Amino acid sequence: MEINEDLKAARDIVQAILKSKKIIRMYPANNPIYVKTLEDSYARFKDYFDYREELVFKIKQNEINWDAEPVYVNPEKEDNLALFFFKDGLRELTFKRGLSSEEMEEFLKIISMDFEREVVDDDIVTLLWERDFQSIQYIADDAMLADEDNYQDRAIQEVEEHTNSPDNILKAYQDAFDEQDVVGDTSIVPLSDVDLQQLMQMLDQEGHGKTEKLVDLLFELPYLSETRADYEELTTFFMSAAEFIMQRGDIAIMNSMLSRLSGLISEPHIDEEIKNYFRRVISYAGNSSIIKLLGELLDSGQEIEDKVVEEYVKYLDKNAIPPFMNILGELESIHARKVVIDALIFLGPKDITNLAKGLNDPRWFVVRNIIYIFRKIADKRAVEFLLRTVRHADIRVRKEVIRALGELGGGGVFQTLRECLEDQDMQIRSASLRALGTVASEAAKRIIMDKIADKAFKDVDFEEKKEYFEILSKWKDREIFAFLVDMLKRKSFLFGSAKMDEIRACSAYALGLLGNKDAIPVLTKTKGDSSKLVREFSFTAIKRLEHGQ
Amino acid sequence: MDSKQERELHKNAKELINQISVVLRTSQIHDTNNVALASSISRLVAMINSLVSQENILALELRGEFFYINEYRIRYSLEYLLNFDFMVREFKKRELGNVTFKGQIRSDDIKRFIKAFVDASFSQEPFSTIQEEMTNVRNIDVGVLKKVVEDDSLDVRKMVKKTYFNAVSFTQGVINKIRSGEKVNIKKAKRVVESMVDQILEEEQLLLGMTAIKDYDEYTYHHSVNVSILTIALGQRLGMSRRMLTDLGMVSLFHDIGKMEIPNEVLNKPSNFTDDEWNIIRKHPVWGLKAILKLKRFDDLTIKSAIVAFEHHMNFDLTGYPKARKKINIDLYSRIVSVADQYDAMTSARVYSRTPLSPDKALSIMMERAGTQLDPLVFKFFTNMVGVYPIGTLVMLDTRELGLVCESNQLFPNRPRVMIIVNETGSRIKGTIVDLTEKNEKDQHIRSIRKTLDPNKYSINLAEYLL
Repeated sequence: MEINEDLKAARDIVQAILKSKKIIRMYPANNPIYVKTLEDSYARFKDYFDYREELVFKIKQNEINWDAEPVYVNPEKEDNLALFFFKDGLRELTFKRGLSSEEMEEFLKIISMDFEREVVDDDIVTLLWERDFQSIQYIADDAMLADEDNYQDRAIQEVEEHTNSPDNILKAYQDAFDEQDVVGDTSIVPLSDVDLQQLMQMLDQEGHGKTEKLVDLLFELPYLSETRADYEELTTFFMSAAEFIMQRGDIAIMNSMLSRLSGLISEPHIDEEIKNYFRRVISYAGNSSIIKLLGELLDSGQEIEDKVVEEYVKYLDKNAIPPFMNILGELESIHARKVVIDALIFLGPKDITNLAKGLNDPRWFVVRNIIYIFRKIADKRAVEFLLRTVRHADIRVRKEVIRALGELGGGGVFQTLRECLEDQDMQIRSASLRALGTVASEAAKRIIMDKIADKAFKDVDFEEKKEYFEILSKWKDREIFAFLVDMLKRKSFLFGSAKMDEIRACSAYALGLLGNKDAIPVLTKTKGDSSKLVREFSFTAIKRLEHGQ
Repeated sequence: MDSKQERELHKNAKELINQISVVLRTSQIHDTNNVALASSISRLVAMINSLVSQENILALELRGEFFYINEYRIRYSLEYLLNFDFMVREFKKRELGNVTFKGQIRSDDIKRFIKAFVDASFSQEPFSTIQEEMTNVRNIDVGVLKKVVEDDSLDVRKMVKKTYFNAVSFTQGVINKIRSGEKVNIKKAKRVVESMVDQILEEEQLLLGMTAIKDYDEYTYHHSVNVSILTIALGQRLGMSRRMLTDLGMVSLFHDIGKMEIPNEVLNKPSNFTDDEWNIIRKHPVWGLKAILKLKRFDDLTIKSAIVAFEHHMNFDLTGYPKARKKINIDLYSRIVSVADQYDAMTSARVYSRTPLSPDKALSIMMERAGTQLDPLVFKFFTNMVGVYPIGTLVMLDTRELGLVCESNQLFPNRPRVMIIVNETGSRIKGTIVDLTEKNEKDQHIRSIRKTLDPNKYSINLAEYLL
């Protein structure tokens, strides 16, 4: 290969590196563009190494050279590959024949990292060092590591000022003949297999339990703290620890920490002012960033015992409600959402008003979840917030809120439920009817009876009529019995008789559901009714009453 | 070769060295017809032939304290540590530097090598014996052990010095930055420690030599770096990975960070501390923990560093300070730092009794503390690392020469390399380094240590010789 061809090949490789750097940042590793770009880059390296042993790039601030020829020049500060390497002290980069595609990809991934971000604690040299590539070597200038220019010269000069006095050395020499012989009184015991086994055990354990240890040490600090500033500091350490623990997904350690803090809070001899610091930590343990981390953890598919999360939630205060509501809409897994919903069911009663803010969430499913949470909390104070949601744009939310109103009951819900019985949507009417059935109060019964008694009721769809009677049959009292018998006995008129027969048939159906055998004589009569529908429903009702079906 | 193949080769190479060691050890007990030895030889032959078929040639070479196979340095692995040490020692004894296997070999070839190896141990000229006996074994070449050429180490020495002083300067900068509330660059700290790890892996003795010089004005910064170097070296002996060594070096570098809170008038007090002053000194582990936790957001390294800063004076038996309310199992890193910290502090001025101890004296005091203040196992590894006569020990030789230990010998701990500073006629000289393992034609050691002296008693500045 000629020099010019080599130069071109080196330039091509730099261009391939630049392109790969961009692509790796933009696409996931399984994307065809990513795969193709890396294959192309590797092909360039392979071509080069067909004829050469190594590829050496010298790095200057704005220039990358190959064999003293510039293969990349960029005077700009942004997106400057030369400067990117140079600023971390990288001065030479060598790729050797035998470079594997895996090594190349690893290298490209390293240089594609976003080093500007705070979370990356390593510079490019450290990452290359840690990776310890066999076919990629580098030379880094470590002069930048010294904090003071010429420190070495100064320190050496200083130490050399204490020059040895020839007299002292010769005195030592003379004394050596006079002094008693003392030959190293430290005996070196050779290492044994047992030592190595012990060491292996020690190394196996190394790395485990560091977080627990840190928490233990933090709990030593209250006893070593004296001033308010000490406690302030300790509070921030506990807070950072809480964040770190959740980042690591060590919820059990978090629970242990919160439990110990709670223990301190309940200690009678600890000053209230100090306890307030611990309370702040507990409150912080449920803040938005920590709960967000919990959400990521729950969504990650990592196996986490529900009871561990439940225990964690028990330590939290009402401030954790908004963060939990925030992640509710972001979680992807059903199980994760269930865990969060359970958390809110536990926390919600601590601040109903705050929980109710979730009803304003723009995402319908979040609102429905919050309504579900209110249902589970079963606190009647929730009704006033829920009533505002009845006109929600999404029918799924409306159905859920109507159900909730039914379960919560109370005087405030009737007006709304009555209105909902007139709703244009059949599902809402049905939900509202069922909600009234759930309330099961006299007032609810009256609303349903009035509705059935209303003239317009005959025009209601048959299935809906049937549902009304079915709900009404839940009130198993004399009044309903009499009401149903009355309805069943009503005469049909020529005009609209079919609609009326539907009501009578539904009455027969409801009498069957009611379970009162006193209805059998009436039903026996209507079993021979001219209306086929009434006959059939009467027959079924009698059977139900006789056989308890 | 891809990285997977390389890993495989490295693993096979380690196993090969181990198997050679097993064969050579067994051959010292049994003759080559013994069933156990024959089975070990068969296994070794299979391993060699498998590697030869992949690599065409298999060159095993001893350079310094490390084995290389086909130019790849084979890292120590804990499980084979004793066998590796045995190999290094036996190769050195016979001045055998390399063994090259070319083409497929047979059990008989190995048996011939074993015989030559065993015979060499009874010979005045061990390598010549091996070479002679191996003349007709075509597939195995042997080479003599190359001596370390002093001149070649000049550039290395320069690099080692640069690494050391960069580290001290950086540490000084860190402390100043923390004091003035500036942000500390952890990326730089890692680079500093990585350089030290590299130097320990390649030039351990030179960097350890730098820690023996104690006459600097800025004790605190030098002490932090010295402890970091000593712990990295010890960590390497313990079989830690490069990554773990970096962590260990980092936590050691910051172990005394709490001392920056101690008022200078206490820290630099020329006389002994009062009880009140001791109470202040004893707070530095707690201050250290706090300083580290304030340095940056929590991560694994922050936590490890904070633990070590808190625990490094607690003692193995928890008799130290600070006193914890809950029983604490002292962390491995803390136990390692504790040993290195005590050693460097005892051999330096301005701490404890303010009179520095000679390295060997410090070791003997520490030996009494092993099992109580110090972890006995960690200390055992430490003594095996620094030797009976650590670097900087002033020694009188039986040749009437006075010298300073400049390099310890892991295999023969009482036979270090010594820099002669006064010759047998009583004249001062500088720079002649002798190896106490050297023997004369009668197979007797040319030089042995007769006694040790305290260099501090004579105000001997080691920098003049070791820098």
